[in-house]
Amino acid sequence: MTETTYDVLIIGSGHAGGMAAKILTEKGIHCLMLNAGPVADVARDAQRKPAYELPYRGFKPPGRLEHVFQASEFNANVWVDEEEVPYTFDASMPFNWVRVRLFGGRSLFWSRQSFRLSDYEFKGKSHDGYGDDWPISLTDLAPYYSRVEEIFQVAGAQDGPPQMPNGNFVPVNEVWSESIQRFIKASQPYNMAVCQQRRAQGRDGLASSVNLLLPDAERTGKLTSIANAVVRKITVDKNTDQPNGCLFVDRLSRREMHVKARVVVLAAGTLESTRLLLNSNLGNSSGMIGHYLMDQIYGPGVTCSVPEARNGKATKQLMGGAAIVPRFRNITTKYDKFLRGYALNVTSRMGAMEPRNFAAYGAELQQKLQEYNGSAFHITVMGEVLGRYENHVRIDKEKVDAWDIPVLNIQTRYTENEFNMAKDAVEVSCAVADAAGFEVLSKNEVPNPPGYSIHEVGTCRMGDDPKKSVLNKWCQSHDHKNLFVVDGASFVSAGWQNPTMTILALSMRASEYLADEMNKQNV
Amino acid sequence: MLRRDFVRAVVSVGLLPKALLAQQTANPAPPPPAPVPWTLGLNPKTPLPVTVAADGIAETEASFFTSSQLATFTRLCDLLLPPLDNKPGALQAGTPMFLDFLIGSSPTARKKVYSGGLDWLDAQSKTKYKLPFAQLNATQADALIKPWLRTWMTDHPPTEQHADFINIAHEDIRVATMNSKAWDDAGVAAGQDWVTGGLYWSPIEPDMAGLGATSTHLPPHVMAVPKAPHTIPSYPR
Repeated sequence: MTETTYDVLIIGSGHAGGMAAKILTEKGIHCLMLNAGPVADVARDAQRKPAYELPYRGFKPPGRLEHVFQASEFNANVWVDEEEVPYTFDASMPFNWVRVRLFGGRSLFWSRQSFRLSDYEFKGKSHDGYGDDWPISLTDLAPYYSRVEEIFQVAGAQDGPPQMPNGNFVPVNEVWSESIQRFIKASQPYNMAVCQQRRAQGRDGLASSVNLLLPDAERTGKLTSIANAVVRKITVDKNTDQPNGCLFVDRLSRREMHVKARVVVLAAGTLESTRLLLNSNLGNSSGMIGHYLMDQIYGPGVTCSVPEARNGKATKQLMGGAAIVPRFRNITTKYDKFLRGYALNVTSRMGAMEPRNFAAYGAELQQKLQEYNGSAFHITVMGEVLGRYENHVRIDKEKVDAWDIPVLNIQTRYTENEFNMAKDAVEVSCAVADAAGFEVLSKNEVPNPPGYSIHEVGTCRMGDDPKKSVLNKWCQSHDHKNLFVVDGASFVSAGWQNPTMTILALSMRASEYLADEMNKQNV
Repeated sequence: MLRRDFVRAVVSVGLLPKALLAQQTANPAPPPPAPVPWTLGLNPKTPLPVTVAADGIAETEASFFTSSQLATFTRLCDLLLPPLDNKPGALQAGTPMFLDFLIGSSPTARKKVYSGGLDWLDAQSKTKYKLPFAQLNATQADALIKPWLRTWMTDHPPTEQHADFINIAHEDIRVATMNSKAWDDAGVAAGQDWVTGGLYWSPIEPDMAGLGATSTHLPPHVMAVPKAPHTIPSYPR
């Protein structure tokens, strides 16, 4: 058998890998995609069941997926098992690494909030002196955001302030319910911009790589995909010292195999791409791989009740709807308690309230649940985590995963800036809720462990200086011109925004650059 | 078979090799191992046997809680979630024994919250009323429980000692009861569809010890999306 050398090897099939496959194959480039897990078929692999038919009545299977707060017994089998692919951390620095290895990766399951970063993120250092600027600005990425928003059918209104740039949206113009109008009025002292939510609607109810990106690549006939291919190492040509393919192990048979390609594109998800580079001892002349791990603080928030909606009086006029409040701290004025800022997700809801909002039990609790039904008003926080050199990952020399691949040791923690931000967000939320006449039922100012937001970014940051960054502004390795990292690993700052649109836009931009360079025979 | 007959049979086989070969050539297909090959027969029309969950039919013995902890916990279950509005209470849903199983299977930290919490609650009761918690009336039990109830947000139950146990147990008792067969049966009796359900994902090509080796027949090349033209969605751009 003669070995095929593919033009491009793409490792990972989520948003980043799917976009790379679509762009490259549409330009006539032959791609081989490897994905570490199987294809999920909802018709074959899932069925509706009552909780009592499951061994644990719907509770998360004890001892499994301890760090996936999102898991339940119903969905436990879609996440990466922590025993199969472990990672390590010091008990004082917990990290929730939430992973999906099914074909399509985490693009199969995401909240769909879709925002652009602004120059408050791209040029954060220029604005407040902290950290580093990205080597690109909104102007560079805007045309790609527009195309991504079209593909993902992002619904939104053109109502964003400069810190939440407008885009190419399927127009929405929800009429605010009275409860949200009251929130808007009460928020005025804080100079908040209360905007319509921005969500990827996708097609047929799904906004994933598997239905929006991979079919386009398949249609070109230039994409070959292998499932259950767990990549062990990127290989390097002995003569040129350039990456030339990879070694992988079949997930089920444990058979060791290898493939060859002229270019390697990593899209395995921030920390898996970084783990692979570290295990391959590749592209790290700067020593920066693994450093500057960031995400967003999630968990803080308040749950309120709108008194007028209680006792069966909730109406669609009064309740319902959702809004996004983009970062408002440190925009036009400087706030002394922390750098950067947080966004608020605001949701008014007619449904049932959670029992944990009442310090009552039995018949008294039942009566409260009935009384408060339909009156829920939630405010939750998404806050920027600053990029810090010391928040990093490295290879754990003691431990390997189910395929004998060394695992990651993660060392990251939040600091005063994040804790103060969370505290401020809850104080502000309570004050606005009070002013709006809502009753605050429960609140929490303790962030969930880092990683919980599933927005981990950084660890292969981009930059113009090869001594201080891993990738250039095209997501291309400074060390190897045929090595690209197109997922969230290239981020220089995290922002408060959900990163998906930015990952997609960066992958699209990097892939077009790569196709162009290949065309010019530069790569 | 008598030894004599066996010897005769062996001898006769030895004498007839040509006849055997001739027969093989004339009829090359070996005789089937059985009238029907082993795994053929199940087909889409095969009726599926109807089974029910063992929960609600079978009884279990407590294996984690001690007898006094179980007595305390049973009283706590009945107090926190009694039968209300035609719905079963925690006892009717078998919640104490289910949670004995769940907590007994759980990591140490969770076990400690329960065993420590139940012992503490019983000790409080004996100090205040000279009675085990299991024998307290509703007013007495309420006086011990109420001060520890808190309001809290998802993933952030109280961390304060005692409040952690009361609030975590309260939520577990409610979830275990509202996800029980008894709860669904009450719904069905009231004309509702079952309410405890959700989309359950089976293991997807599981890679578990023992299964890995037998799964090697699976083709390593799997298309992300089937190649049949009609199954690829086409969207206007």
